[in-house]
Amino acid sequence: MKHQLFDTNVHIATGGRTFSNEGQVLVFIHGSGQSHLTWILQSRYFAYRGYQVLAPDLPGHGLSGGTPLESIESMADWIIALLDSLEIKTACLVGHSQGCLVTIEAAARHPNLIARVGLIAGALAIPVNDHLLSLSDKALSKAIQAMISWGHGPMGHMHDNTQPGHSFLGFGNQLMAANNQNALKNDLIACNKYKNGKRAASKIQQPALCILAEKDKMTPLKFGQQMADALIRGQVTTIESAGHMLPAEFPAEVNTALRNFLNKTDKS
Amino acid sequence: MSGDYKFDTLSLHAGHVPDERHGSRAVPIHQTTSYVFKDTEHAAALYNQELGGHLYTRISNPTIAVLEQRIAALEGAVAATATASGMAALATAVLVLCSQGDHIVASSRMYGANINLLENTLPRFGITTSFVDPNDLAGIENAIQTNTKIIFGEVIGNPGLDIMDVEAIAKIAVSAGIPLMLDCTFNTPWLLKPIELGANLIIHSLTKWIGGHGVAIGGVVVDGGNFDWGQNDKFLTIAGPHYAMDGINFYEEFGPAAFTAKFRAEGMYNFGPSLSPTNAFHILQGMETLSLRMKCHMDNTAKMLKFLVGHDAVAWVRHPSLPDHPGHELAKRMMPRGAGSIIVFGLKGGRDAGRAFIESVELSSHLANVGDAKTLVIHPASTTHSHISAEAMVEGGLSDDMIRISIGLEDFTDIKADFELGFQAAAKKLKLKE
Repeated sequence: MKHQLFDTNVHIATGGRTFSNEGQVLVFIHGSGQSHLTWILQSRYFAYRGYQVLAPDLPGHGLSGGTPLESIESMADWIIALLDSLEIKTACLVGHSQGCLVTIEAAARHPNLIARVGLIAGALAIPVNDHLLSLSDKALSKAIQAMISWGHGPMGHMHDNTQPGHSFLGFGNQLMAANNQNALKNDLIACNKYKNGKRAASKIQQPALCILAEKDKMTPLKFGQQMADALIRGQVTTIESAGHMLPAEFPAEVNTALRNFLNKTDKS
Repeated sequence: MSGDYKFDTLSLHAGHVPDERHGSRAVPIHQTTSYVFKDTEHAAALYNQELGGHLYTRISNPTIAVLEQRIAALEGAVAATATASGMAALATAVLVLCSQGDHIVASSRMYGANINLLENTLPRFGITTSFVDPNDLAGIENAIQTNTKIIFGEVIGNPGLDIMDVEAIAKIAVSAGIPLMLDCTFNTPWLLKPIELGANLIIHSLTKWIGGHGVAIGGVVVDGGNFDWGQNDKFLTIAGPHYAMDGINFYEEFGPAAFTAKFRAEGMYNFGPSLSPTNAFHILQGMETLSLRMKCHMDNTAKMLKFLVGHDAVAWVRHPSLPDHPGHELAKRMMPRGAGSIIVFGLKGGRDAGRAFIESVELSSHLANVGDAKTLVIHPASTTHSHISAEAMVEGGLSDDMIRISIGLEDFTDIKADFELGFQAAAKKLKLKE
């Protein structure tokens, strides 16, 4: 759906269903240089299972207008403003990679609005090496190729896809190339300068599920485990053989883990 | 692993990881029409594209998916969808993109069936084509109308061997906001990956070099994922609500893979041009040796050109690697490994000498195929291009005396000896005429 926020035309994937703020709202927040397309195999899945799904493109990403936001804190503010503008009273946030930092920051500041959190391939901090930062500024296609290569596990590199005929690497490259030219650079700088993850995570009282990837080269498993340890009610599911892009590589495993977590917390 | 796998590795492995239960190293043939659903929710999810997976072999199949993913990997594409033949791939791609009243700009130098489809069949359904010399860039640009939906051509034309300037024509397509779709059968991804030069959709007849053995017919449509279907209102069946799946918008839901999502949901679902799993398996066996075969094809082609040029019996020879070919410099730049293993030539003595040659060779096979491991010869004017008009023949660069050779992998000494046999028969025919 299209939505106007702060004079910016925002694209929000709703999983093919008409959104209503009356039901259980599930907000998927994409990572650096990504878009709502990170969540192709989550948004439709959850929307057709009774959840009210929102997978927004952050400003300057995907089909949204505007310019990329410059800090994790401002992205968290933007997500909260988006929820307010849609008159949502409570929501579950699910982040991937940089989206985990945004989720942690938003959930720590808004415990009444954010009921629970899902953190996929995340960490408390995501420092970015100088080489990648430089590539994202001066040789964007090389930066994208490097991230897509590092971001996928053995299954991705073998093009062994659950979606018939699809290539993970080809899709990932084109997804990132379609974004605003500054999106990746801005996102990586925002990740690099964000230092509040540990403090914010320690304040999160809400139930939290960390879904981690065994072969993650971008936010390695041990940092994901540290994130889980910092959360007061953190649980961990680790997916074997998965790389950083596990929502695409292992959709069934991610969806099942998330669904079980949501069902469990519903009852608790 | 330290980086992305290279071409030769991908041609052996891409798309397939041995399954945990059986561990089959070779790709298993899933010779089945359908797949057992876990429950009703799982069935509904597959139909609704909430999950990846297979529901009916007309739409997808695990063996065929390996082939598709391997092709996508080799082309640097987002996805590929295999079909029963190269013609099924082209016809379905056009029907997925075009509606009644739409228009195509196409190369005039193409395979007879490609021309026939566009010139004679599609107009009955309200889809018309303007044919343009592929070397005439201004002509291509000028032929584009407001209702034009595709620019289409063959990178190496069959059988005239004209070379399309992919980069330049891709720029024309970008300016017009329409995709560039190319038939890349003659170049294969080993010689050229046109997506890197800006092409958007690729068609292959897998029957030819990619299979290479001449035992299975197949085709594929490759999606570069590099065309913005939402940039204008020309493709509203992709970037607007579709009748299927609660009015799904493929562009918003699947982004770079929007074309493939529609191709599968509409093209495969409604038209049903499916490849058989067994043929997919055969083609996969061929793909494993694509690099090795292409190297040998190129070596033998170079030797054959050396043999033919200046031979007493030969009137003319055409191949893009010869300096007098109009596309020589372009071919060298675009395809440094070679410009394919098809050579066309004419014999002194014209059509009659040509017929004597074709009927006298013994090792080379006289048949309607190209890209086989074995050397093939044919007279296009009386066979592969016999259904197109005399004007289209001239426009397509075909002459009555033209012989097309598809150079195989035999020891070149034997091919050469076989051709000498044919030349002697042609010379005898010529003498009798005198």
